[in-house]
Amino acid sequence: MTREQKKLLDELRAVDFTLVETVLYLDAYDKCEEALAYYHKQRARREMLAKEYERLYGPLTAAGNVSRTSWDWTKEPFPWEYDAN
Amino acid sequence: MWIYEKKLQYPVKIKNPNPALASVIVSQLGGPDGELGAATRYLNQRFSMPKGKVMGILTDIGSEELAHMEMIGAILYQLTRNIDPEDIVGTPFAGYFVDHTTGVYPSSAAGVPFDNKYTGVKGDALADLNEDLAAEQKARVTYDNILRMVDDPDVRDPIKFLREREIVHYQRFGDALRLTMDELDCKNIYAFNPSFDK
Repeated sequence: MTREQKKLLDELRAVDFTLVETVLYLDAYDKCEEALAYYHKQRARREMLAKEYERLYGPLTAAGNVSRTSWDWTKEPFPWEYDAN
Repeated sequence: MWIYEKKLQYPVKIKNPNPALASVIVSQLGGPDGELGAATRYLNQRFSMPKGKVMGILTDIGSEELAHMEMIGAILYQLTRNIDPEDIVGTPFAGYFVDHTTGVYPSSAAGVPFDNKYTGVKGDALADLNEDLAAEQKARVTYDNILRMVDDPDVRDPIKFLREREIVHYQRFGDALRLTMDELDCKNIYAFNPSFDK
């Protein structure tokens, strides 16, 4: 994995982490306007980063194989490998 | 349903393999307070929960536990890569190796295979949510014990992340319990059995 890919992957992981935390919080505190606004801000950023990541480095989910000429979903490394992190 | 995302929730990048550490960390995959037990516990308990908010909390935490199983699997996989079988004779990893080679097999640190009795589904919101609060604390203690034995910063880093998640999940289960208690009849001062007897 190149340094550029690692940087984008870490940014994506970071924004996804903020979403995991905000979702769990909103499950219990669904009237919190501040949390809901933060959720939408992070959701928009997540969408942008995931789109960019899939365009440059291949699918994040099996439904995200952008290429019409190659099947990239099974390309290594897989997430548990040293080189994937 | 679920959709798999091809990335770890938090990075695992361990430079130096160390099978002895794998033989204790495996408990957080298939031990009594491990991530497999947590995922099956929450994802099965949610069916008998009385309200949407609590169903949501169990669904979301249960799903996150699946990602934590994957992280523990990645730690075990990286700690046992490129090892020489001769080097593990007489080490704590030898017993595991003879049965599972370096495959990732859910068991406790003492070698007990994953047991579904760790799952804990009672079909009662108060019983189950109290179980979950205890489960998060027990998992946190297990991570504390692992951190007491591990020096390698590459291993400590993802373990510390997972330990912190136990603390956050404990808070959210506290919310779930409070939300459930708030809906009880105010005369039900002993707070029992809100799910089955309507």
